[in-house]
Amino acid sequence: MKKLFALLLALMMALSCAAFAAAEDEITLDVIICQYGPNTENWFLGTGMDGTNFVAKFEAENPGIKLNLDVVSWNDVYQEVSTRIENKRFPDILNIDVFADYAAEGLLMPVSEYCPEELYKDFFPQFIEQSVMDGTVWAVPDLASARALYYNVDMLKEAGVEKAPETWAELEDACQAILDYYGGEIYPWGVDMTTDEGQAAFAYYAWGNNGGFVDEEGNWTVNSDANVESVKFSVGLVNKGFTNPNPATQTRYDLQDMFAAGKIAMMIAPNQLPTIVKNSGNEINFATADIPHNEGAGSASVGIMDRIMAFKKDGLTEEENAKRNEAIGKFLTFFYRPENYVGWVSMEDFLPAVNSAVAALVQANPSFEAWLNVLANAKFYPTAKPEWNSVKQGVINVEQNALIGGDVKALLDELQASLTK
Amino acid sequence: MKKLSPDRQASSLRNGRILILVSLLLIVLLFCLPLFETTTAVYTKKSPNTFVGDEKYQTVKAEVEAAVADYREFGDVELGESVTLRDKSDGTQSSMVTFTASTRSHLNGWKLVLSGLPSGTVLSLLFIFAVLAAGLSFIPRKGAQACAVAFGILALILVPAFSMTFTRFFTRTIGTVLSGARQADITGELALADKLLYGGQGGDRISALLSGMSFSSTPWLWLLLIPAFGLICGTVMVQNIELSSALSRGFLYAFVIALCVLILYPYYVMFITAVRTPAETNDMHFLHMLPVNWMWGNFGDIVRRNVLTYLGNSLLLSIGATVISLLCGIPAAYAMARMKFRGRRAFLGFVIMSQMFSPVVLLVGISRLMIGLKLNDSVLGLMLINAAFNQAFAIWLLRGTFVSISSEMEQAACIDGCSVVGALIRVLLPMAAPGIVTTLIFVFINSWNEYTISTVLISTPARKPITVGITQFSSFNMIEWHYLFASALLATIPVVILFMFIEKHLVSGLTSGGVKG
Amino acid sequence: MNEILVRKKWVPYLWLLPSIILMSVFVVFPIMIVFKLAFSEISRAGVVGGFIGFDNFVAAFNDKAFGTVMLNTLVWVVSVVGLSTLFGFIVAMALNTEFFGRKVARSIVVFPWATSLVIQASVWNYIIKYEYGNLNNVLLNLGILKNAVNWRLTYQIEFAWECGVGIFVTIPFVTFCVLSGLQSIDAAYYEAATVDGAGFWKKLRHITLPLVRPSLTVSTVLNIIYVFNSFPIVYTITKGAPANKTDTMVTLLYMRAFYDQQKGPATAMSVIGFVILCIAAGAYMMLSMRKEDEL
Repeated sequence: MKKLFALLLALMMALSCAAFAAAEDEITLDVIICQYGPNTENWFLGTGMDGTNFVAKFEAENPGIKLNLDVVSWNDVYQEVSTRIENKRFPDILNIDVFADYAAEGLLMPVSEYCPEELYKDFFPQFIEQSVMDGTVWAVPDLASARALYYNVDMLKEAGVEKAPETWAELEDACQAILDYYGGEIYPWGVDMTTDEGQAAFAYYAWGNNGGFVDEEGNWTVNSDANVESVKFSVGLVNKGFTNPNPATQTRYDLQDMFAAGKIAMMIAPNQLPTIVKNSGNEINFATADIPHNEGAGSASVGIMDRIMAFKKDGLTEEENAKRNEAIGKFLTFFYRPENYVGWVSMEDFLPAVNSAVAALVQANPSFEAWLNVLANAKFYPTAKPEWNSVKQGVINVEQNALIGGDVKALLDELQASLTK
Repeated sequence: MKKLSPDRQASSLRNGRILILVSLLLIVLLFCLPLFETTTAVYTKKSPNTFVGDEKYQTVKAEVEAAVADYREFGDVELGESVTLRDKSDGTQSSMVTFTASTRSHLNGWKLVLSGLPSGTVLSLLFIFAVLAAGLSFIPRKGAQACAVAFGILALILVPAFSMTFTRFFTRTIGTVLSGARQADITGELALADKLLYGGQGGDRISALLSGMSFSSTPWLWLLLIPAFGLICGTVMVQNIELSSALSRGFLYAFVIALCVLILYPYYVMFITAVRTPAETNDMHFLHMLPVNWMWGNFGDIVRRNVLTYLGNSLLLSIGATVISLLCGIPAAYAMARMKFRGRRAFLGFVIMSQMFSPVVLLVGISRLMIGLKLNDSVLGLMLINAAFNQAFAIWLLRGTFVSISSEMEQAACIDGCSVVGALIRVLLPMAAPGIVTTLIFVFINSWNEYTISTVLISTPARKPITVGITQFSSFNMIEWHYLFASALLATIPVVILFMFIEKHLVSGLTSGGVKG
Repeated sequence: MNEILVRKKWVPYLWLLPSIILMSVFVVFPIMIVFKLAFSEISRAGVVGGFIGFDNFVAAFNDKAFGTVMLNTLVWVVSVVGLSTLFGFIVAMALNTEFFGRKVARSIVVFPWATSLVIQASVWNYIIKYEYGNLNNVLLNLGILKNAVNWRLTYQIEFAWECGVGIFVTIPFVTFCVLSGLQSIDAAYYEAATVDGAGFWKKLRHITLPLVRPSLTVSTVLNIIYVFNSFPIVYTITKGAPANKTDTMVTLLYMRAFYDQQKGPATAMSVIGFVILCIAAGAYMMLSMRKEDEL
């Protein structure tokens, strides 16, 4: 028994020494990257980058900088980041969707401190604007996607719907026609009000009704009349039997699969849908159109954007800090260099955030250009406001409550009150 | 199974034979009654923009009645109509009248037997088995009588099987082709159905007729279960075995088989999904129970995506955690069971309290601790955490086992010059094998399945355990069900193998249980 | 009478030492951090501030989902622990009788336990999908169903499924706890009872149950704790949707901590859960231990 203990102790010491023997003069950057698709981890750490990987290539090119890069699934990333912050073990570079909380509490460095001038100019200005808080840019966009209406051309034709619906009234008529024709075998309209992404459903209808999360000055207006009407409309679609039966638990994955298999006739989906349909092995004839809007309001496309940000590090001398900022800058420069960045963006069919990548991407896939135009006019979530996370969960809660018969107006009022408290 | 006493044997034999004959007679009788009923909508007419009673309604109704006359040859035709009203978005109202004409047919057992349908074959088998069971039970040979019971059980099982094959034939074999979900040549099947349902009069209209056909089973079908059960009882009785003991044996097997089917069902799902193509995993028409193309290559794909490395890490982690947990737990449990000291209760309370937080909640503290101990991102750190989290069970169960074993043998060993530690290792531990094995399995499995703490503690891919490693298959835009389940299956195998090796010690504990008293 | 004599008073503590060190370092320390956090101000991003008394607890009790979720948690714990103990006991009784293929059956029963909860939950989530789930596939292809059935029509049904999966994965644990207890029962007791003419139920009540009680106590108390704290099943199948109607306490506090940015109240909730568990498990333990001592 004693021998076993001794062995164990020795094992413990050996392991811990091995794990933490790092050379002194090197700088190590702690990087957290979110897992966008099946290739993300392989690209950063495996063999997904023409036989090598991002980390190896970067380290070979930048001796003296080590990357401690962790690819985390979207399911776990909030938990991981939050745990690190509570223990004051901030990552150096973080890739995630939100930044306002971190910026508001002074955890982030302004982008100007580390991002090289040349690279900064390369970003789409309307993207950079989305990461401004109190006049400072706190994060840079890493990629984007845009949403549009997808519809199954054959099904609409079969059911006697001449063209893709543009207004809510047309949408309801089209749904009714499809429902009548297929007798419930096919869902006319896909709705996702899940805890994962219900805020998107809120945005589709609210923005198509001149409503939204905030007013022009950036104050929260979640209980505006337009929003009440739009939530009632979307829940009405569900109650009339036009949609998939369980919108509170059927995620966008489910809907996309169903669309690909010809089980859903119309849905709002991101620009990746064609690839998903292709990979699914089904052959359906589909097309895109603008997201339907209410009479008298304009159609608004929905843009989604993720970001890269750098955390402050305490206890460094000025010299060390400069060295660290330079290393972060080198990381970004390397990441956004067209030869690397184009591979990254096209890997999961995202839209780019820098000008220099556009030419190569359009060449590879002409449909990109149309999407870039959509994106140029898209609205984004108000992620620059620190309350965004609560609002996001709040509107999802309102939708789900409305689905089981809650009073939309009262629920939205309650949410608004909790925000202005 | 218990044999009957000789004086009751004769009456049991007689009653058994009567029961068998009555059951067989009942089966023949029930076969003459309709087992299934079908309703065919022979003619349907949807008349849009029609209100009941208006001019259009009258014209269409006349039209329908004329058309239905054609179908009188199938038997009685019933006429029905339904009205659909709805408000259009421009404020006006629309109305649609649907006229239907339908005919019914009753299918009795003999008709089905002769139909040539797969379900007819099943029904004939049912009858043959019932006759065989009855016949064999009259042969006074042990083997023949045992076969009779088996045939009786088979006949019983064939009742639901018949219903299932009937439904399957019309909804799957024919239905999916008619609805266009599947392509296949079904002319033969259509002819059989035509002959059975419409006396061969369907002809060219058969596809349309079958699309509008619905069916349901009658109570007579399910009443068949009673004589089938009677048959089993009779075949048991003629063997002079006590009926209740035979039946309880039968129920035991039925229960165990049902249990195993239920438990294995999710694994069947994992397995067939793991060897499917992505398109087939989301098959919205439910066309195939088994994969069309068996994609064994999926397993190769996941191996290329490092699943074996993750499995290795999990194995190391679980073995380490189990060893540490037992090394710390056995002495503590021994002290709790065999020594008298202040604070025994308090220690037990402390052990239980330590379990009362969900690992999710403890993450912040654990993470801070691991950074402090420089065990962050190491498998050893996970081992220690898992060992600590399983202490409560280890100590508690081992204490229970030790308490139930008398200390006489240890005391004898001590008198013979063994130290306390020696007595523990040589005398107590072998006797406590079942408890130790249970503890070992428990700790191993819990460590094997731990997920939350590993996600936060481990960041280097090469050190991730399998539970964390497989999250790579559910990403931002899709879930790769086939890869996810293939990896999950691989992850189950080591635990099951471990259990199979260890299970015999669980059983041997049973025999050694007699030592103490 | 079953004890051995130890001369020095400190000897028993020495035997406990490894266990105490292990638990103190790796479990008690994190628990202390939780208590500290529950009384501290925690910012939206997670920065830990100073002591703020019971504010987090007040916020937790004022959470509008708190009532629903407490009720759900009660239903969840009682149904999963109660039914899995009942079924587990029955399965253990069945597996303790001699029959052909018992070894195989025992190995099969361990299966649900040998797969992690996240995976079990994912599989069942896949099985009960309406549009392409395997349950509909199998039942349709066998001819048991004529049309696909929506197995998760309302949230009450979805919650029932979650409880069902919870029971399914908990049964093996109870089964093997009871089985290890059953095997230490001396067969002589049963023989004596049979001679006295006792039937199945009588033997069950007067021999089996009392002798298995220690094992049942262990499995029940631990199950109450594990089931209360278990979150992958609910989190994978419904994520609490719609509007927290299927949440249990642990999934709610997880959502509050990591998605709603309310880490303080979430930590306070976990302490509330701890207190509830202490009371529940403690009461159960007191009751059953007293009986055990009387034995």
